[in-house]
Amino acid sequence: MQLIAEIRDYPWRNLATGILPTRFQSKTAQIVPSASIAGNALTVVIAIMSFLACLTAGAVYMVNQSAEAWVKDISSEITVELDPVNTADIEKKMTLVSLFLAKQAGIVRVKPMSAEDSAKLLEPWLGHSEALSALPIPRLIAVEIDRSNPPDIKAVSAALSQNFEGVTLDDHRRWRAEIRTLTRSAAAGGFAVLALVAAATVAVIVSATRSAMASNREIIEVLHFVGANESFISREFERHFVGLGVRAGLVGAVSAGLVFFLLPFVMHLLGGEPATATEMSRLVGSGELDFRGYLLCILVVFVIACLCLITSRVGVIRVLKSYA
Amino acid sequence: MIRFENVGLRYGSGPEILRDVTFHVLPGSFHFLTGPSGAGKTTLLRLLFMSLRPTRGLIFVFGENVTDLSAAGRSELRRRIGIVFQDFRLLEHLTTWENVALPLRVMGKRESDYREDVTDLLRWVGLGDRIDSYPEILSGGEKQRAAIARAVIGRPELLLADEPTGNVDPVIADRLLRLFVELNRLGTSVIIATHDYGLMDQLDAPRLVLYEGHLEIR
Repeated sequence: MQLIAEIRDYPWRNLATGILPTRFQSKTAQIVPSASIAGNALTVVIAIMSFLACLTAGAVYMVNQSAEAWVKDISSEITVELDPVNTADIEKKMTLVSLFLAKQAGIVRVKPMSAEDSAKLLEPWLGHSEALSALPIPRLIAVEIDRSNPPDIKAVSAALSQNFEGVTLDDHRRWRAEIRTLTRSAAAGGFAVLALVAAATVAVIVSATRSAMASNREIIEVLHFVGANESFISREFERHFVGLGVRAGLVGAVSAGLVFFLLPFVMHLLGGEPATATEMSRLVGSGELDFRGYLLCILVVFVIACLCLITSRVGVIRVLKSYA
Repeated sequence: MIRFENVGLRYGSGPEILRDVTFHVLPGSFHFLTGPSGAGKTTLLRLLFMSLRPTRGLIFVFGENVTDLSAAGRSELRRRIGIVFQDFRLLEHLTTWENVALPLRVMGKRESDYREDVTDLLRWVGLGDRIDSYPEILSGGEKQRAAIARAVIGRPELLLADEPTGNVDPVIADRLLRLFVELNRLGTSVIIATHDYGLMDQLDAPRLVLYEGHLEIR
């Protein structure tokens, strides 16, 4: 109940005006002057923290989005592989297997790939060579499945093995698992970076709070004498830190947003060929943040402001208790 | 309202500054606290104001035993007490008006509700032309009056003043004493720590005399 009353009575308006730079604030002087709280150095450090956090969050978000798109793509397809060894007429076998697959429930489209198509898939590893045609390259059939009514993959696989020799079905489960592992690793790495940034921000605010309390000791004593309680005194300090956190956080977030926005242009200016953009696209999708990605940067600013609020409040109250 | 029972205080392992101090302050009373320099007047005021804890004995303020009171509880009680320090304790970055309004701001009152009251009080103590001035340009007497105005603006139930007329001329001292008397008539208990016998002689009020750590009521 006390917490609810504190939240209800909290001077949110003061906190909101505290976010504004001093020249836009109320004419009544602040009890704890801004100049005694934090210098530009603290603002710069928090802006850098916000920038790093936004970059990390944005990059993890893009990788995740891209991986989701990959998984979505390969989840709608299965591949049937025909071993050409010991098969007299591979083209005939391709036709028979394709017809068999087309008859199965839940299969939307069957696309047999030519020998040239299969050879092209190996080109990134083996290069373009006439010798490829002499190799017993497995033949592939791309099968598009109905995602709303998918076939029984196990049954189709068993039927294929039963009716055709040397035919296997790949539902890309291994690739999907690997992509998921990759995205989880990226997310875990991102969270680790975010945790470090948060820890550094907290450490900086703790230090700044102690310094601010020391330089405003006389003001704190006078506030005690006129009946101010710990909450009132901590609010006088935390409004400065929240304002600073929001302003510096926004600077960092806007800078990170600009980086994401300008990245494709910068790559182009630095001489990135279309191939570079393609590689980038494979790695992190389009390479640009969507609306939700930018919202994530705003969330980072919100989290930094909350960290500033909580850390400065706890810091002030701890120091006040030590005075008592 | 205030009760001291066998209160003793020492700083660290030094000698006792106050010994077996016992007295009562009734609501609406007026007391002078006097004694030679170093007798412990300021220490006694600090005990009354709960910025020090006694090393022994009991102190009751507004019926609460302050020896084991929480920080929040002490803050609540302090809002019912006004205090004037010998060294004024005005905040240098606030104007005279803002310094005087500070207790009301701490109480959470709206500025529009007390704007006129603060201005009127400043005029009454002779600082009408210093409303927007900062403490650094005020004279000692003006600072003293601003500190007194800050102490009384919240209509405290108890007013503690440490040498309130030490830096003002006799005319202003007389005016300040009248302010204290007026507040006392309105129900505020007043304890004034002073060396000024001339001031004490103007009023027939009990004197708490501190001598070598002991308190005597005359």
